[in-house]
Amino acid sequence: MALRSRSGVQLEFVSSDAFSGRDEREKIRMIMDAVKKNKIIVLEGAISPDEQKWLIAATMEAVTKDFSGVEIATIGADVAGDFRSTVLKVLGGKPAGLTVIGPANLVKQVRKDPQRLNVLAKG
Amino acid sequence: MPFRKFFSWLAGLFGKKKAFSLGLYGNVNVGKSTLANRISKDWTGEEMSAVSEIPHETREVIKKERVVIKVDGKELTLNLLDMPGIATKVDYREFVKAGLKESEAQQRAKEATKGIIEAIKWLEHVDVALVVMDATQDPYSQVNITILGNLEARHIPVIIVANKCDLKKAKPDKIADAFPQHAVVEVSALNGNGVNKLYKAIAKHAR
Repeated sequence: MALRSRSGVQLEFVSSDAFSGRDEREKIRMIMDAVKKNKIIVLEGAISPDEQKWLIAATMEAVTKDFSGVEIATIGADVAGDFRSTVLKVLGGKPAGLTVIGPANLVKQVRKDPQRLNVLAKG
Repeated sequence: MPFRKFFSWLAGLFGKKKAFSLGLYGNVNVGKSTLANRISKDWTGEEMSAVSEIPHETREVIKKERVVIKVDGKELTLNLLDMPGIATKVDYREFVKAGLKESEAQQRAKEATKGIIEAIKWLEHVDVALVVMDATQDPYSQVNITILGNLEARHIPVIIVANKCDLKKAKPDKIADAFPQHAVVEVSALNGNGVNKLYKAIAKHAR
């Protein structure tokens, strides 16, 4: 689901189902494809530390004069892939948490604490 | 891998102490290289890394091997690894603002991205990690969370270093509150305050 503001900032909300059956590499590729199209994506579920790490590495490989990188923030889950999340997944539940990823040229600032996420986008 | 363990055991037989690898991780410009230089100078008399106000001065892993530190009557041998600062974005224009020519800035940005990838790959290969944080900045950054999450997932012992505690704006308690699961040592890598406590913490975690 995508929303576009008057100023042209596009938000895309992505369900965890969009990634089911896909490996880590594919998940990161899908995220990067969206971000490079100047979208801010909001993922259902927190991405794991491993995924965060490889997303940063993929971002660095993609940096050019016109694409300087991303802003990422996760909230709401201590560690994706921990025991609680695994049990939830096995029982057919949805993963906890939320992840916001956007191109650095669009996301001016991300402020977070354990319970709150504040994203300031450039209009 | 089994050969590595065999040679390590063999080196032990001949009295050569096994060195553990100590990696310095953190965001950009938090003082990792200043701290690496402090540790290296204290125990070898020499500095190991270049330091600058311009971000991403360290753009590849800098290693100082077999640094022997003496704490509470014991000797520890470590391989010190100063990692490039990890960031989710690198904008060459920031380097131009800092005074570099455009071509130099673009080259620095390219090297910085490679350095970050190298630092990320090293996240699983150290024995003990110092996660350095600037005590004047908000500790709850995604980079800090990513670094800690990866080290925790691999059960690598972590010491959080709250650096720049010599500055008035420093709030090391915020770091301790943000990450209560880890030991936090307050230091100033610049003037050396707190580093003796850091050496004790390293000795404790390296056992």
